[in-house]
Amino acid sequence: MNILSFFPSKNKNLENPEEADLISRCRKGDQDAFKEIFDRYHKRVYRIAYGMVRQKEDARDIVQEVFTKLFRSIQDFRGKSKFYTYLYRMAVNTTIDHTRKMGKFSAFSLDEEGAFEPSGEPEQRPDRIFLRKELEGKLNLALEKLPPDQRMALVLREVEGLSYQEMAEAMGCSIGTVMSRLHYARRRVQTLLKDYLKEGKTI
Amino acid sequence: MKGSCSSVSNLLERYFDHEVTENEKALVEEHLPSCSTCQETLKLMGGIRDVMRTPVEEALQGEDFQRVWQHVDREIRLRESPPWWESVWLNLPNLLRRRIWVPAVAATIALVLVIAPLFLKKTSSYPGSSDIEYVQSQDYNVMVYQSDKATVIWLLDGKEEGAGTS
Repeated sequence: MNILSFFPSKNKNLENPEEADLISRCRKGDQDAFKEIFDRYHKRVYRIAYGMVRQKEDARDIVQEVFTKLFRSIQDFRGKSKFYTYLYRMAVNTTIDHTRKMGKFSAFSLDEEGAFEPSGEPEQRPDRIFLRKELEGKLNLALEKLPPDQRMALVLREVEGLSYQEMAEAMGCSIGTVMSRLHYARRRVQTLLKDYLKEGKTI
Repeated sequence: MKGSCSSVSNLLERYFDHEVTENEKALVEEHLPSCSTCQETLKLMGGIRDVMRTPVEEALQGEDFQRVWQHVDREIRLRESPPWWESVWLNLPNLLRRRIWVPAVAATIALVLVIAPLFLKKTSSYPGSSDIEYVQSQDYNVMVYQSDKATVIWLLDGKEEGAGTS
């Protein structure tokens, strides 16, 4: 039995009739239906965008661009592929384009909005936060050195939790290519973060 | 039989991603308790996943997506009534895909062929709207000058004219 059946995709609900109706309404220009599509999927698109660019403002811009494009192109969606595949592919392409336009992202540019607030919780202690930010900086440096395709593979798997099949559909490549990109990306990130993670500097 | 470290290590990444078969899963789980290297590799992959995921989830919590929607909504409304040239430009890929351009191009070419001679017809070199016609017959030659303001007709004796010009 295929192991995938034991790990049902969280996206299986995307193929339901309710969603088909929603998409059909969107294609007729129903903006309320489109708002509902936005409400359902904006977090997923944001995860991909932020996972890649690591900047809130850029991630917001990407979400905005993806949904504006989606509204214009949903007329062309004929249901030959699953809707989430269609949307993910759009998100992946838009994010990679954005990343290339940006050039290298700043590895140590911590968002102002992400500044910590002192708290009594162990995770919020200044020393923990400092270690966490240090590790995030190291991760950003490691991600920066990856080609966009490998970085995207890592984000789709580790952040968004897609299966190999879903990743292949979203990235428009074979499962073998997905596994290869993921493997090289992990190996390079592991090499750079190994010492930090072994020392227990986890967040 | 416990799998060797080298054979299991090839499965570790897929095991970590829940992409192994039941047999492969059993093989890895049998090997793991006795192999600190593979345990370490799995732990490392888990650490990277946490490091990648946590900041994203935190960023997500702090976002105001209502504001993002407002931007999307505004953009969509702006796009709803674009100028005609923008509509044509935006719809160009669809038009080309639907192949309605074939009869459209044919109709345009036909229209150009019909209209073009009208514009290319020789017009009078006189200023204003005027025309001169010259009609020859056996007995008389008639020349008519027509303009917006007046019409002048010359009636010339054909024989005399012929003699005069020869």
